[in-house]
Amino acid sequence: MTRRSDRTVYLLLALCLAISLVASASIGAFTFSPATIARFVGESAGWIPERASDALGRSVFFQLRLPRVLMGALAGAVLGVSGTLMQGLFRNPIVEPGLAGTSSGAALGAALVFVLGGGALAFRAPAGVVAVPLFAFAGAFGATMLVYKISSSFGKVNVFTLLLAGIAVNAVCAAGTGFLSYIARDPQARNITFWSLGTFTTADWRGVALVGVCFAASFVYALGCAKPLNALMLGEDEAAFLGADPQRLIVRLLVVNTVMVAATTAMVGVIAFVGLVIPHVLRMLRSSSYTFLLPASALLGATLMEVVDVVARLVIAPAELPIGIITAVIGAPVFLWILLREQRQGSAGFYG
Amino acid sequence: MVELNDVIYRAGGALILDDVTVRFEPGKLNVVLGPNGAGKSTLLRLATGIVRPTSGEVRYDGEPVAGLAPEPLARRRAVLSQHVELAFALPVDDVVMMGRYPHYGRVPSGRDREIVNSALELVGMEHKREQPYPTLSGGERQKVQLARVLAQIWSDDEREHRYLFLDEPTSGLDVHYQLHILRVARGLLSPQCTVVAVLHDLNVAFEFGDHFVLLENGRIAVEAATSSEIPAAVIERVFRVRARRVESADHAGDYWRFDL
Repeated sequence: MTRRSDRTVYLLLALCLAISLVASASIGAFTFSPATIARFVGESAGWIPERASDALGRSVFFQLRLPRVLMGALAGAVLGVSGTLMQGLFRNPIVEPGLAGTSSGAALGAALVFVLGGGALAFRAPAGVVAVPLFAFAGAFGATMLVYKISSSFGKVNVFTLLLAGIAVNAVCAAGTGFLSYIARDPQARNITFWSLGTFTTADWRGVALVGVCFAASFVYALGCAKPLNALMLGEDEAAFLGADPQRLIVRLLVVNTVMVAATTAMVGVIAFVGLVIPHVLRMLRSSSYTFLLPASALLGATLMEVVDVVARLVIAPAELPIGIITAVIGAPVFLWILLREQRQGSAGFYG
Repeated sequence: MVELNDVIYRAGGALILDDVTVRFEPGKLNVVLGPNGAGKSTLLRLATGIVRPTSGEVRYDGEPVAGLAPEPLARRRAVLSQHVELAFALPVDDVVMMGRYPHYGRVPSGRDREIVNSALELVGMEHKREQPYPTLSGGERQKVQLARVLAQIWSDDEREHRYLFLDEPTSGLDVHYQLHILRVARGLLSPQCTVVAVLHDLNVAFEFGDHFVLLENGRIAVEAATSSEIPAAVIERVFRVRARRVESADHAGDYWRFDL
C-alpha cells in the first residue's frame, strides 16, 4: 500500500550505498580521490588515454581495492538478505545464518580444506581453486539440513527445536574447526583464525564473480517468494489457505540461502551479527513486509559492510582488524539496545 | 455445495473421523457442532482441502478438491481461524491485502486495493487501516482477519462459486464481536456461496445457523435444519449435560439451558 514511498526509501538506501562504495574505494593504505578513481575507470575503459604514471596506482586499484570493495558489498548484501530470509522462514526475529548452523558448517568445510588440503586431501590447481567454496557449501548445507531435519517433525518446523538443534550443531562444527586449528601447523592455523573472524584482504575477482553469481541467482529467487513469506507470518496453515505451499517454500529457500551464504563464507570467512541486525533495523525504520525487506536488506547490508570495512582498515593502520571483530563489537551492543527497547515498550509484540 | 463422501481420517493410529458423509449447501449457514475432541476441527480441515482424508473424498460442486492446485483453490476457498497472530507487525491493510495474494502477481492492481477497502468497510475497520495489527484488541484482530478472508474470495463474477470456512471464529470474543462476525458471515450467504462454521456456543449456533451437523466421536450423531429437530436426549448424551429448551417470552426464538 506504500509502494511509492518504498521507492523513495530504496533510492535513499541506494544513495547511501553509492557514497559508502566510493568512500571505501578511496580510503586505505593507498588513497584514491574520487577524481582519480574516475580517471582510472575512464582509462581502463579506453575513454581517455592512459597515463604511464598511473600504472602502479591503477594496478593496485583494480587488482586489490576494487575487488575488495565489491566483495564487501556482496558479502553484506548476502548476509542481510540471508538474515531476512531465515527470520521469515522461521517466523522468529533471533534466527540468522550463524544460528541455524549455516555459517559454522561452512567454516568447518573450509577449515578441512585449509588444514588437510596440503596433505591428506592433496588438492592441486584447478581443483584447489573450487575446493574451499565446495567444501564450505557441503558443510553449510549438511549442517543446515541437519538442523532443519531435527527441528521439523510431522511436516512442520518447530522453532524451539530448531534453536536447540542449531546450538548443538554449531557446537559440533565449532569443535571440529577448533580441532583442525589445533592440529594445524602455523601458517594454516593463522589462516583459520583470521578467516573465522572474517576478512576481505584476500578478495580477488574470481571470488567476486563466484559470490556475485550466487547472490544474484538466490536474490532473484527470493524476491519471487516475498508474498508467501508474508503469508507465512500468519502461520503455516494460514499460508496454505492462501495458496502457498509452506513446506516446499521452506526447503527451497533454505537451499537458496545456503548457496549464497556458503559461497560468501568460503571467500570472506564468518561474519556475525550482520544478518541479525539488518532486518531488525529495517523493521523498526519502516516495515515488516518482505516485498520491502528483501531489497532493502541487500542495500543496507552492503552499505553497513562497506562502513565496517573502512573502519577495519583505519583503526590500527597500517595493520587491519578482522571484520567479524568489528561487527560483533558494534552489532552486539546495538542488538542488546534493540532488545531492551522492545522490552520497555512491552505489550505490543515485536516492533509493535 | 461442499460434499464429504465416506470420509475416514486416521492420525497416529487413532480414528478421528469414522466414515462421515455430509453435504453443506450454499445459501445456508452450515454449522458443525460437537464436544471437544469430537472431530469438528478435523472435519473442517478436511473440507478446506488442506488435509487429505485417509479414505473417501471431498468435492466442491462435484469437483474433487484433491485435483485442484493450491492457488486456484485459494481464489475460491477461504478459512477464518481463531486467534491468528502475526509474527511481525504489519499495518491492518497489509494484512487484508494478503487475501488478494492468490489473485495478483508481484504488484496488486487498483481493483485489489478497492476490494481491500470494501472488505475493511464491510467489517467496520476502515478507520484503523494504517494501525499496526498487534496493537489491536482480540476482537478487532478477528474483524481484520474476517476482512482478509472476505477479500480472498471477493469476486466480481457473481456466478462464481465460493466457499467460506469458519473455525470457531468467535471463541474468546465478547458478545459484540460474536454477533458482528456471525452477522457478516450471514450477509455473505448466496446461491453461489457455501459457508461452513464450527461453533462452540450452542445457543449462538442455533440462533444463526440453518443446518446443523452434530458430531460425536468422529461420527455424525444427528443432522437437523432447526434446533427443535434435535432431541434433547441427543444433546444430553453427546455433551454430557442436562439440557432443557426454554421458550422465550417474546418469541424471539427458543434457547437452551444447560446443567450438569
